[in-house]
Amino acid sequence: MNATREIASMSQDYSTPMVEGIARVVRVEPGWAWLEPEQTTSCGSCASSASCGSHSAAGIGSVASRLQSRRFRLDNPAGPGELREGERVVVGVQNSALLKAAVLAYGFPLAAALCGGGIAQSAYESDPLSMLGVAAGLAFGLLVARFGAHRLAVRGEATPRFLRRARPDETCK
Amino acid sequence: MKEFAMIMISAALVNNVILARFLGLCSFMGVTTRIDTAAGMGFATTFVITVSSMADWAVQTYLLDAYGLGFLRTVTFILVIASAVQFTEMTIKKVSPELFQMLGIYLPLITTNCAVLGVALLLVEGHMSFINATLFAFASSLGYSLVMVIFAGLRERLALVQVPRLFAGPPIAFIVAGMLAMAFMGFSGIAAS
Repeated sequence: MNATREIASMSQDYSTPMVEGIARVVRVEPGWAWLEPEQTTSCGSCASSASCGSHSAAGIGSVASRLQSRRFRLDNPAGPGELREGERVVVGVQNSALLKAAVLAYGFPLAAALCGGGIAQSAYESDPLSMLGVAAGLAFGLLVARFGAHRLAVRGEATPRFLRRARPDETCK
Repeated sequence: MKEFAMIMISAALVNNVILARFLGLCSFMGVTTRIDTAAGMGFATTFVITVSSMADWAVQTYLLDAYGLGFLRTVTFILVIASAVQFTEMTIKKVSPELFQMLGIYLPLITTNCAVLGVALLLVEGHMSFINATLFAFASSLGYSLVMVIFAGLRERLALVQVPRLFAGPPIAFIVAGMLAMAFMGFSGIAAS
């Protein structure tokens, strides 16, 4: 069943171009598994993450606490294919979905903030009022992002899929 | 309007954050293996650089300059940037848990990107107004994103060609980065008339 499931997942992988990421299973519940993404820094060096920041101490703002907040749930069917705690797996989403998510989360709010600042500056030519305009634009952009993300989630594009178990030497790069 | 255009061109192309100022090189080499990831990283960094630069400008103008605390600039900016990144993550998590979950897996954390601090320090040294500082930060981060995507495209092509064993992997990537930097030096010939 395990092999069948992996073959089925790989067929999904080849049908649409996917971005892959490695995650570690941290908790298993009936029907679900909780995963923690492995990639930690902008240099993409997951292997050296233990040395940059307090990986073990889960204080506010530490790498450990931020990774903990990024845990996500994955379907974990019962049987021989069941994921186990400590296992590393490769999860994927469509390329286009990742770009859409980045545009929604960062692009729209930033564009709206810049528009708000620009309008306030041209109308009042005052720095404090421009800052208020930026804040108002940012809030509006985040509202748009919320609706867009909801639509993305409804279509199921925002949910990572299990692709395969990671090889021992496989890294997040 | 011409002033805004000059700020944009100067910050994005002539004084490019990566290829002219050599900031953010870690992500430049680490996250440019795929165009999609590089573009996503570009969006995230653009947002963080612009928002944290606005906050840094406000702190510099209304706190550090006003009370003669300029010597605390670097420490204060680091604190402001870390807070801005944390605030961004918390806001996205609150606004849309789905987006937060997805971006958390595929886009790396941005706290260690020195380009964020570099741009904030540059705009303060330029003694700009709020809107000019915001445009400068936005244009700088656009230049960063542009170079990230171009380099990711080049590396995707490099992965398909045969290179001598001696140059395979990071060495050829560094050589291509150097050629890209030389190509961008051409923009330094742009002069305002």
